[in-house]
Amino acid sequence: MKRLWHAREFSTIAILVAEVLFFAWYLWPEAGREHSFLKVENFLLIFKYSSIYGIAAIGAAIVIISGGVDLSPGAVIALTTVVIGYCFVEAGWPLWASAMAGLAVGAAAGLVSSWLIVRVGLPAFIATLGVMGIWRGTAFIVTQARFYDLSARLPPNWHVAGVSIDWLGPVVMIVLAGVFQLLMTRYQWGRGVFAVGGNETAALFSGIPVNRIKTSAYVVSGVLAAVSGVVLAIVQGQGKADLATGYELDIIASAVVGGASLAGGRGSVAGAVLGALIFGVLRNALPQIPGATFYDRLIVGVVVIVIVVMDQLLSKRRSI
Amino acid sequence: MALLEFHDVHKSFGAVRALRGVSFAVSAGEAHACIGENGAGKSTLLKILAGIVRPDRGEVRLDGDPLHFNRPREALARGIGMVFQERLAFPNLTVAANIFAGRELVQRWGRLDEAAMHARTRQLLDDLHLPVRPDVRMEHVSAAHAQLVQVARALAFDCKVLVLDEPTTSLTDAEVDQLFRVLTALRRRGVTLLFVSHRLPEVFRLCDRITVLRDGACVGTFSTPDTTPEAMVRAMVGREPPERVAREIPAEHARAAALAVRNLSRRPWFEDVSIEVRPGEILGVFGLVGSGRTELLETVFGLARADEGTISVGGATTAFHSARDAMRAGLALVPEDRQRLGLFFNLNVRHNLVLPRAVKHGVARINERAETDLASLQVARLSIRTPSIAHPPEALSGGNQQKLVAGKWLATDPTVLLLDEPTKGVDVGAKFEIHNIIRGHAARGMACVMVSSDLPEVLALADRIVVMRQGRVRGEIAGTAATEEAVMSLAAHESAHSEGPASAGPSAAE
Repeated sequence: MKRLWHAREFSTIAILVAEVLFFAWYLWPEAGREHSFLKVENFLLIFKYSSIYGIAAIGAAIVIISGGVDLSPGAVIALTTVVIGYCFVEAGWPLWASAMAGLAVGAAAGLVSSWLIVRVGLPAFIATLGVMGIWRGTAFIVTQARFYDLSARLPPNWHVAGVSIDWLGPVVMIVLAGVFQLLMTRYQWGRGVFAVGGNETAALFSGIPVNRIKTSAYVVSGVLAAVSGVVLAIVQGQGKADLATGYELDIIASAVVGGASLAGGRGSVAGAVLGALIFGVLRNALPQIPGATFYDRLIVGVVVIVIVVMDQLLSKRRSI
Repeated sequence: MALLEFHDVHKSFGAVRALRGVSFAVSAGEAHACIGENGAGKSTLLKILAGIVRPDRGEVRLDGDPLHFNRPREALARGIGMVFQERLAFPNLTVAANIFAGRELVQRWGRLDEAAMHARTRQLLDDLHLPVRPDVRMEHVSAAHAQLVQVARALAFDCKVLVLDEPTTSLTDAEVDQLFRVLTALRRRGVTLLFVSHRLPEVFRLCDRITVLRDGACVGTFSTPDTTPEAMVRAMVGREPPERVAREIPAEHARAAALAVRNLSRRPWFEDVSIEVRPGEILGVFGLVGSGRTELLETVFGLARADEGTISVGGATTAFHSARDAMRAGLALVPEDRQRLGLFFNLNVRHNLVLPRAVKHGVARINERAETDLASLQVARLSIRTPSIAHPPEALSGGNQQKLVAGKWLATDPTVLLLDEPTKGVDVGAKFEIHNIIRGHAARGMACVMVSSDLPEVLALADRIVVMRQGRVRGEIAGTAATEEAVMSLAAHESAHSEGPASAGPSAAE
């Protein structure tokens, strides 16, 4: 119990719960009317859209823990939807093969980023900033101001085993969060990621394969961004070059709010997913407040800063 | 019988020849020291041993078989344990995770066996009598314990040879004693030690033989009983140490105090401190780590506000609100940590040298010519060895970086120079030069306050020695009358005998 209390994820869950309670209270309807926030369909909506950020945030957290940063997930998501759209609509491939092509794009994106960082020696920020432009640009060149309409070839009102395809994102997010949470905390690879982010020189002296660990972190980040892209392409029914514009910053913010330190060596995969949900609730609830339309970006910005400052104050007290 | 043997090892980094044919052998069961100034090639040698750097030529043999450098963990796997400096720990991982970093005990598919690692860590820490919990994060472990955790790390897997790289730099004397007890016990178990250090007293205390490196080459291997520390200094430096600059010690009450601090307190760091230094005098402030010395200097220099007490410079009582106020009053502070507090590594030598002077005088427009003249003058005066004044400070050795810090402050023409550990981490040759710089400026009338935990240094330089313990001045000794025993007994008095409110606080906080 004490360990649970000390776990960084605990405070992220507390913030999420407090946030939901606040909006449930604030948006409480007049007598006789339906609650627009507190209903199952709305939570499904929050889950559905948060999962696009959340899946990519798992990868972002891993890269940040390894001491790097990845600015490319938004562009990788967009390029993945475009590649899936091309393969599925233009080339007439089956959906699973198109999705595989999309994931291959993600892996390639991660390999390029890590090559620039590990072999060429560019700072991660610069390398992934450039790579972000390259993938976004490639998506525009492929689509030429058009977009691929997948929905025409997808089954209408698609259910798999009696469950709506809308649940694809949330299910994938939770499964991947579980898998990577275990890999990061219980397996040698995850320990290596923490070690490289904590002290790279020491990792080198300890015989940890630093370059391989860094490469794997960026490849995982690229593939997970591509998974987000697959989910987005299927749920949205589109392959489009300007999808997920600006997502990279929300994805990084999710990881940071979930406890990842940009100095490296600290953070959690589960926290990053919870962080994505915190922003998902905000993005869902704020537009429902009358007159808040122009304030929502500002509020999201303030929330990032408040949560991180709060965490710093708490961790000072928590430290043994 | 040679256990570990370096044979004609060469290594160049670009144009820099770090190692030029180093050969020496460490016999089984002995404690062997490898000493040399900064830049002599010690760290390159260790990196080769650890498999991080591959030599251009030559080989390293263990038990007669050469190590294969294409396999980075070969040395570790073959029984060479390495203890690196405390900064090579993982602050974000637990003690147990630190000990097993890179060599985790795993079950199937790389799943960590936390229980086994925890148990083994517990056992290792108990063997070393280390009161540290295996599940505590390294960032919460004291520097001394962190160093001993590094020893535990090397011992986690059976090792025949234990290599220690400057293991005592962040340890107090008592902690050094504890480390040495552990090392002595290991030797009894038959472990061979290779001790890399520049602290000669420790080398002479622990080691059977000493190999001296200079400029990437072996000067020779000496048997400890047959040599002296002085001979080792000459071997490391390659020349006779420079003559001491002679100077007259100013007579008592000859002139008014250049700096007088009265009843100064800044809790919980120090309390009721009164010191005085006259022009031309060197005042040594000695105390163990945590005695409040650094905080005293920072407060005098205007970096922190005192709770009470007065500071007067040249007879006038002043109140500094910033370092700039203090500089304008004629003070300068050469800080302890040149990496963090002393130098701007993004600026070149010239810009570093002129910056405090420009701040002091509030120069709006930069006069390149004047800057270049001043910088060249300082470089020549302090004989700072730098490729040019346009190079960044990285290009300089530790000792020359330290001279650079001193040079930038001396360029402000201070009347009172405050020095915090002026020769920490500096090799022997540079130490002599820095001592001569301090003496030379004192001879020209500058008042110096030198804080140091290097007792021989304080004894050699100071005209008077003030001893601090737990934030209070515990006594004052004239430099001529001071002995190591007299100073230490004031500095390290058992805290059980001490009285006063300061005894509770500061020692834990620094």
